[in-house]
Amino acid sequence: MIRFLLSLLVALIIGAAIGLYLGWVRFPVQYLNSPAASLADRYKDEYTIMVATGYLKDGDLGGAVDRLRVLGQANIPAYVQSVTERYISNSQDASDITYLVALSEGLGRLTPIMQPYSQLHAPGQKP
Amino acid sequence: MSRYDSSGNYAPDARSKYRRPRYPFSPWGVAIGLILGLAGGLLYAWVVNPRVEFNTEPWQLNETDRANYIAGIALQYNYDSDLAKAVNRLVVLRLPGDPIQAVADTACKLASSSYVDNSSGQRAVRSMMTFYQLQGRTGCADTLLASGNVATPNAIIEAATPTLRPPATKTPTPQVTVIAQATPTQNIVIPTIQPQADFTLVDVRTYCSKELSGLIEVRVQDYNGDPIPGASVTVKWDNGESTFVTGLKPERGADYADFQMDAGKSYTVQVAGRSDPSQALVAGSCNDPDTGQPALISYRATFRPQ
Repeated sequence: MIRFLLSLLVALIIGAAIGLYLGWVRFPVQYLNSPAASLADRYKDEYTIMVATGYLKDGDLGGAVDRLRVLGQANIPAYVQSVTERYISNSQDASDITYLVALSEGLGRLTPIMQPYSQLHAPGQKP
Repeated sequence: MSRYDSSGNYAPDARSKYRRPRYPFSPWGVAIGLILGLAGGLLYAWVVNPRVEFNTEPWQLNETDRANYIAGIALQYNYDSDLAKAVNRLVVLRLPGDPIQAVADTACKLASSSYVDNSSGQRAVRSMMTFYQLQGRTGCADTLLASGNVATPNAIIEAATPTLRPPATKTPTPQVTVIAQATPTQNIVIPTIQPQADFTLVDVRTYCSKELSGLIEVRVQDYNGDPIPGASVTVKWDNGESTFVTGLKPERGADYADFQMDAGKSYTVQVAGRSDPSQALVAGSCNDPDTGQPALISYRATFRPQ
């Protein structure tokens, strides 16, 4: 009986370890129907640039803020400012930087580091 | 031969489990333990304490946010007309079937929902319509947004004083005979138009370095990214321009050329006569992230054939 219980215990531990490896590493849970707030930063940045170009096209600042709300950020202007400054600091694509700066400027967040990139303006936005 | 031993006990059969050597472990115990352990481990990893959700990719988004993401793609396409970028982003969404038709279907759903109750939503759906219509696709948004949301002014016709019918004329209308004449055919030769721009600016990046302060580094490459030496590059500013060629600094590469900017000025760069000018590159100030010293923003621009 002791032999059986010992075997059971050892196998239980090995089985649990294999199960955890499979469940967490090899075949982790893949979520579907996720909210945009859980997007990877890379895709959040891409989405923010898309919204910035939309703003440059139509000058609809309220619409841009509404579109960014799905990212779950409490303070949209601060979020756009943070993404823009990170793009400038990391030497990302210059076009993307100018789009982001235009949106950031529209939101009243044109910081000194952004000023050299303030080249594009949305319709109705004062240069 | 008798099966009884000297003590008179009945000897077990040679194949009996009592004659086989005992395993150091219980096979049943191992089997049951493994099954229970594996099931418990998976239950814990998948249900009780699954991996925290982060780094979600766009294809994992729920339907509403996926539609928002598609609208974003269409908005950017409407601004920069970069079809390749738009399609690549749609591919990431893993939309079923034709991704562009999926945009049309999504626009259809949005156009029939409260999404288009405000002008921002309408603009987003119209951006999607422009995107898929240019690729030859159609969707119900074409009719929904065209007829449903554009207010058609009601024509108000004031009842005027009835006009009396004019009396019949006494002069008969002359008969007109129309003689069809063949229009002489004319051969028009359309001259072949030379492409206006062979090269395009594929990448512009900024950096800040005290040592390489205010430098425009230009690389001209072929389709494969191989260097093209001897390509003429022109940099223009307010009241001047400078043309130089790639490959004069072989230690930096055969495709390399650079230009020193002056503080505060704005420049454009192009492959001389073979590309459109770049966006304005401004020699603004920055701080070198390594040394913290002030410097001018520098640029790395790469041209490749279209």
